Order: sequence, then C-alpha cells, then structure tokens
Amino acid sequence: MTLTLIDAPAGLAPVVRDDFSAPFFEASAEGRLLLRWSPSSDAWSEPAARFCSVTQAADLEWRESTGAGRLVTWTVKPGRAKDDQPAVATVIGIVELDEGPWLSLLLPQADAADLTVDAAVRVAWSQPEGSEVLPVGLLV
Amino acid sequence: MTTRAAIAGLGITEMGKVYGRSATDFAVDAISRAAADAGLSLADIDGLYVNPGIKNDTDLRLQSTLGMRNTRVLATIQGFGSSAGQMVQMAAMAIEAGMAEVVACVYADAPLTEGKRAGAAYPGQARAMKGVGSLPFAAGLKAAPERYAVATRRHMHTYGTTSEQLGAVAVAARQWAQLNPAAQMREPMTLEDHQSSRMIADPLRLLDCCLVSNGAVAVIVTSAERAATLAQPPVHVWGWGQGHPGYVNRRDSEFGLVTGAAQSGPEALKMAGVGVDEIDVRELYDCFTFTTLVTLEDYGFCAKGEGGEFVASGAIAPGGSHPTNTGGGELSSFYMWGMTPLSEAVIQARGQGGERQVPQHDLVMVSGNGGVLDFHSTLILSPHQKGK
Repeated sequence: MTLTLIDAPAGLAPVVRDDFSAPFFEASAEGRLLLRWSPSSDAWSEPAARFCSVTQAADLEWRESTGAGRLVTWTVKPGRAKDDQPAVATVIGIVELDEGPWLSLLLPQADAADLTVDAAVRVAWSQPEGSEVLPVGLLV
Repeated sequence: MTTRAAIAGLGITEMGKVYGRSATDFAVDAISRAAADAGLSLADIDGLYVNPGIKNDTDLRLQSTLGMRNTRVLATIQGFGSSAGQMVQMAAMAIEAGMAEVVACVYADAPLTEGKRAGAAYPGQARAMKGVGSLPFAAGLKAAPERYAVATRRHMHTYGTTSEQLGAVAVAARQWAQLNPAAQMREPMTLEDHQSSRMIADPLRLLDCCLVSNGAVAVIVTSAERAATLAQPPVHVWGWGQGHPGYVNRRDSEFGLVTGAAQSGPEALKMAGVGVDEIDVRELYDCFTFTTLVTLEDYGFCAKGEGGEFVASGAIAPGGSHPTNTGGGELSSFYMWGMTPLSEAVIQARGQGGERQVPQHDLVMVSGNGGVLDFHSTLILSPHQKGK
C-alpha cells in the first residue's frame, strides 16, 4: 500500500520515536492510526496512555482506530508575517475519535470559517523533515 | 482540622521589567523584605519553601545564600500556579506539628530579557519532541495561550460565553489596577480596547493574557500567638484545599468546563467552616481572563455556565457586589504565579489596600491554578483568629 502524505504544513514539528511509541509510528508509516485499548474494560485510550483512561487497568494493547472523529474545540493562531511573506494562520483542533479518545491535531487545510463543534474530521498523514509520519486532521 | 497559623510578613520586590537580577537575587530581596515587614530578622526563620518559576533557576539551596543554619523544614515546591497555596498549607502544617516556628515561602522568577518581547519568555514546553506524548506539542499546542484557548472555546460553545464577557474580566482588572500604585498596567482600558487587541490564539486576545514579570514575592508564616506579637496585623489561615482533576483525553473529559477549583474550593470552605456566600474578597489566579471566569463558577459564586453573565454585570469590578482581584491581578498588576493573588489577599485582609481597599474584608478566598487548569489550590484567610 502506498501512503499518500500531505505536504508538511508550517507549524507541524518533527517527532522522533522512542521504545514505547515504536508500534504507533510503524503503523503511522502505513497510514494506520493506533490507539490504546484495554481488553478488561473494552475502553479505548489516547496513544500516550500507560493505563486505561477509564479503569486505570494496566493491560493496554495497541489497536487500530477508524481514524474518524468529530471536532471538540480548536484555536487559530494568526502567525506573524516575515520578510514580505504574509502571516499564515494555523488551526489546531482537539478531535474526539469515534472510539472515544481525543487527539490534538493540526488541521492544515481548514478554513477558520468552516470550523464548527462536531464537524466531521478524518485523520490524514504528513511527515515533516526529520520526523516520523504524523497524524493531521482533515475536515470531511 | 483547625489551624493556628497566620501570615505575619509580606515582601514584594521591585516588579516587572527589572533586568540584571537573577531569580535568586529577587528571592533574597523578597524574603528580606517579608522578614522586615513582620519585624523579624532572617535569623528568626527556621523553615523555607522555595517555588521557582518557569525559568526554574532557584531552589532550596537558597538556604545557604540566605546564611540560614539548622533549618528545620526546607524544600523546593513545584505545583506550578498552585504552589503559593500549597506552600502556605505546608508551612501551616509544619508549624502546627511543631516542626518549625517561622517559615518563609517564596516565589521568584526572572523570565524577561531586556530587548526581547514578553512572549519569548514563555516559549512553550521545553520538551524534546520524542514519542507519542509529544504529538499535541508537535501539532502546535505548545505555549499557554493556545492551550488555554482550546479550553476557553469549549466553555464558550457549551455555555454561550462570549469574548465580550471575557473582556469584562480584563476591564475590571484594569479598573482595580488603576487604584493600585504598584500595578504594572494602569492606563485606562475599555471593552473596545479589549475587542480590538490583536488575537494571540483565537478566541484569546492580547488583553485576555496576563503580564510577564521579573521579581519575587515572599510571605512569612508563623503561629497565631507569635504573629500577634509582631509588627503587622496577623492574617489567619482558616482553611485550605487542593484539587487536581487529572483530565483524561477522552469523551467524558471536563477539560475547559470544570476545574480543580470545584474540589479545592469546597474543601477549603469546609475546613474554614464558612459558606461561599460569606466570602468578602476574592483573589483569583488570572493567567487568562477565562481562568477568573471559570474559577468563579467552580467556587460557586455563580452557577456553572453563568460566569459570563456574572462578570459582565460588573460584579467583580470596583463598586461591584463581588470584589475580585483587587490589585489588578496577573492581567494588569504583575505575574508572580500564585503569589499575585496571595499577596493582594494579605494586603486586603490587613486593611492596607489604600484606595482599593474593600471595606468588608473579614474573609478572603485565594486561588492558585497551574498547568492548563490541571492543578489547583485554595486558601481562606481572615484578619480574625478563627473561633475568637
């Protein structure tokens, strides 16, 4: 499968893997979003969770998400003009995935005028220089 | 539990764009001033709690800088914006337990550099972009304004809170600051000024954001009995509480809607044996206008979701029914984390507020807030000893 990457937007900083996150980034390189899931509670947690966000169980496993969700809240950073280059606004949203966890995502193609709470979002992928493949959000 | 502890001394250094001094320099200055204010010498201090600010460049080794010997309680405390309340709590408990007699609590920071903009002082989390825990930072939620912005917008959407209502908080703070000769920002401010100030992180504008200050504030905590013999009117510690929600990033999170104030406030009031309706003066952590608004709700000064209407009514401004942040707060006076509200609470409880003094000041409620509404402390202070 060939992963289609979105051009790395300004404002998306590079991230490198550590031992814990290696499975996440192995999957992100294939365009798959992994979350943490507890077999004892059947509850999903965010990728960084070490314990179940509902029961505090220590039995979390990586499990694939649909990558679909809805916008909970967002901010728009206006940016600063530099050297005759116009300011570029950055939209960052908190997205609630259908499984329940929240992800903070840069929304690189979003127009601030189109942003509404509960707007449908799907996860896409981008790779800044020197970085693993990172999730970003696209309004559906 | 009852407490017999009292705040007997207050030291506030020169504040704001004061360059060429380290956080340790400021801390020594503040503690010296607080001791002198109480009528004590540095040799009388046998306990020290040190809260370093964002630059994190002072700590418990301040003991040796101060020449303190045989110190009985000593620690660096880091609860971010909740630290001031936590330090007073721990000092009071140490005094109650007989572990120390006179405890200095100090916050000091020197993030401003001459010639650089204030925003550069708080560039965001200085963590390596490593692992999945870095994803929010990589996406751009780095510094406080954007992180508080997403919290604020959630409240606005859920409860209909408006930017103009946030502006009412900023205008009220500035009105109080105009009565405070020590405030950094005393120029008049209108709601129109707020609405036309540049956007920092939508929906937060420049005038929704606190100042950045170099300086230090210290308080001296001792027993009520000892305080009664000292130079200043004692400010008695009636109650305290902490609340740290531990927000989870998932569907049922209350992030942006309910803060740790909803836990620490009632605990402090219960310990003090008073109701929220009995509070005369509120000194609330106001890193952003939204923080004031949501803390008022969580403490119960208005119903949840009605903070916007409450502040827009003029309740918190000079002459209002609920005087709040009477020195101008972190928005207009100075930003010393939780020491900003605590220092003004001491001034008000003593009745030393001058032109801004609130006539009825028997009970003063103080909040501390750290992280992004993550860490909270509350104090209830009074010029009267509890039960007397």
